[in-house]
Amino acid sequence: MSNFIIKYKKKSVTILNEMSAVGKLAVIIFFVLILMALFAPFITWFSHVNSSGTALLPPEYPHIMGTNDLGVDIWSLICYGARISIIIGLGTSLLAGLGGSIIGIIAGYKGGIVERIVMRFIDIMIALPRLPVMIVLAAFFGPSIFNIILVLSLFSWAGPARIIRSATLSLKEQDYIKMASHYGAGTIYLIKKHFIPELFPLIAVSMIRLMGRAIVAEASLAFLGLGDPTSGSWGLIINHAISFQGIYFTPFWKWWLLYPWIFLTLLVTSLALLSREIEKISDTRIINK
Amino acid sequence: MKLKKKEKIFEYIFTLFIIITLNFALPRMMPGDPFLHNTGGEGEVFTTHTVEQIQYYREYYGLDKPLYIQYGTYLKELAKGDLGYSYYYKTDVLSIIYKRFPWTILLVFSALGFSIIFGTILGSISAWYRNSWQDQILYILLIIISEIPAFLIGIFLLVVLAAALNFFPLAGSISHFRDYSSNFEKIIDIAQHAFLPVMTLTLARIGGIYLLVRNSLSTVLNKDYVRTAKAKGLKEVRIKYIYALGNALLPLLTRVSLQLGAMIGGAILAESVFAYPGLGLLMRNAVSVRDYPLIQGIFLILALMVMIANLTADLLYKKIDPRV
Repeated sequence: MSNFIIKYKKKSVTILNEMSAVGKLAVIIFFVLILMALFAPFITWFSHVNSSGTALLPPEYPHIMGTNDLGVDIWSLICYGARISIIIGLGTSLLAGLGGSIIGIIAGYKGGIVERIVMRFIDIMIALPRLPVMIVLAAFFGPSIFNIILVLSLFSWAGPARIIRSATLSLKEQDYIKMASHYGAGTIYLIKKHFIPELFPLIAVSMIRLMGRAIVAEASLAFLGLGDPTSGSWGLIINHAISFQGIYFTPFWKWWLLYPWIFLTLLVTSLALLSREIEKISDTRIINK
Repeated sequence: MKLKKKEKIFEYIFTLFIIITLNFALPRMMPGDPFLHNTGGEGEVFTTHTVEQIQYYREYYGLDKPLYIQYGTYLKELAKGDLGYSYYYKTDVLSIIYKRFPWTILLVFSALGFSIIFGTILGSISAWYRNSWQDQILYILLIIISEIPAFLIGIFLLVVLAAALNFFPLAGSISHFRDYSSNFEKIIDIAQHAFLPVMTLTLARIGGIYLLVRNSLSTVLNKDYVRTAKAKGLKEVRIKYIYALGNALLPLLTRVSLQLGAMIGGAILAESVFAYPGLGLLMRNAVSVRDYPLIQGIFLILALMVMIANLTADLLYKKIDPRV
C-alpha cells in the first residue's frame, strides 16, 4: 500500500509539472476553495445560520460581502456552502466512480451475457436525458444531501463504467493476469490486487470529472428549488436571491447574487479545466508509450 | 449485422419501457400528496377539503386502486395519447404541453443552429491557424465558456445585459397587453425576448462543436488531397469549406443530435432563469406544486424528444456513411 502511494505521489508531481499555465491556475483555485471549506469556522466571524446584522447590508467591514434578506453574513454562507459542494462532489465521485469502475471491470473481465446486459444498461443510462430524470428523482427522493448524492450517483456511474470496461478488456489479455487466474485467483482477488491498482489513474481521472459534474448538477437542482433547503449550498443561495421579488431593480444583486455566482463558477470551471488537463497529459502518455 | 440491428431496436424499445415505467412509478412514490398541498403546508390545518371530499377525489382520479391496475390504465390512456389531467391547472396535460412546447422548440433549435454555425466558423479558424496565438486564445476562451454551466451563464447575461444595461427584457417570451402594428413588429418582440435564453444555450453548447470541428478539420487539412488542392492553386475558402469541411461534417452531425439531451437539460435551466414560458419552466412549477400528471407528461415528452433525436442520428449516420 505505501509503495502504491509513493508511486502515485511521484506521478502526480510530474503531472503538475506538465500542466499548462491555465491548468496550474485551476489547481491553485481548487485548493484555495478546499481550504476555505475546511477552515470555514476559522476564517468567518459571523454565524452562517443566524442573522448577524441588518438585512441586505452592502459589502462593508465587518460584513465583507454584505448580508442577505435575513441579515445572514454572505461570506459565512459562502464558506460553509463550499463544504456542501465539496461533500456532494466527493461523495458522488467516490460512490459513482468506484461503483461504476467495479461494474466496468466485472463486465469487461467476465464478458459474455453479463457484459452484454451491463453494456445495454449503460447505453440506456447514457441515452436518458439527465436533468429531467434527475429533477423527477430528486423530487421523489426528497432533497436531503444524502439523497442528492444517491440520485447523482445513480445517473453518473455509466460514464466511468464504459471507460473502465474497455480498459479492462485490454488489461485482461496481459500474461500476468491470465497467469494469476490460472493459479486460481478469484474475481474479487483479481479486482482488488490487479485491476484497481493498474487502472487507478484512469479511475482517478474519471472521478475528478464526475466531481465537477456532480457539483454542477447539485447547483442546478438547488437552483431549481430541489436542493436540501437546510444545506445552504451555493445553488440555494442563488435560488433565494433570484426568487427575491424585484432583485434586479435593486442594488442587492451586486453582492447577494454576485458572490455566490463567482465562487460557484470558479469551483466548477477550475475542476473542469483540471480534469481536462489531466486527461490530456495521461492521453499523450499512452500515445508516447 | 442482422443481430446488431435487432439489438438496437430492442434497446430503443427497452429505453422507452424504462422511461414509461419510471414515469409511472416515481411520482407516485414522491413524498407529499396533492391533497396535502391543497390544504396548506405541514402543521397548519385549514381544511378546504373534508375527508369525504378527499375520498371522492381519490376515487375520481383512480388513486385508491392497486398499483398494477393504475399502471394498466396508465398504459392504455397513454396509447390513446391521453397524458392525464393536471391537478393544478385543471385542464388536460397534453393541451398545456401543447401550448408551451413551441417556445421550448424555438429555444432549442435556434440555439442548436447558432451553436453549429458559430462553432463551425470558430473551429475552422482555429484549425486553419492551428497552434498560432489566435488558435490558443480561441481554444482557452471556448473551453472555459463551455465548462460554465448554462444557468450561471444565463444569470450573468440576465444581470449584465437585461438588468444593468436594459438592452433586453427581463422575463417572458412576448410583451403582454401590447398591440402590434404589424407582424414584423411582433416577430421583433419575440426575437428580443428569445435572444438571451438562446444566447445562453448557444454559449453553453458551442465549445463541444468548436472542439469537434477543430480536431476533425485539422486532421483532414493534413491529408494529401488537401495538399493537392493547395498545389493546384484553389482558393483558400473553397478548400476550407467545401473540401475539408465536407469530410469533417459526419462526426459533427451525430454529435449534434446526441447533444440534444444535454441541450434540453440546459433549456430547462435557461427557461427558469429567464422565466421563459416553455416546458422547462412548466416542469419546475409542476414539481413545486406536486402536479403528478403534468410532471409525468413533460418528462415523457422531453424523453421522447431525446430518443427521436438519437434515432435520427443513428439513421442519418447509416445514410451518410455507407460503411456502417
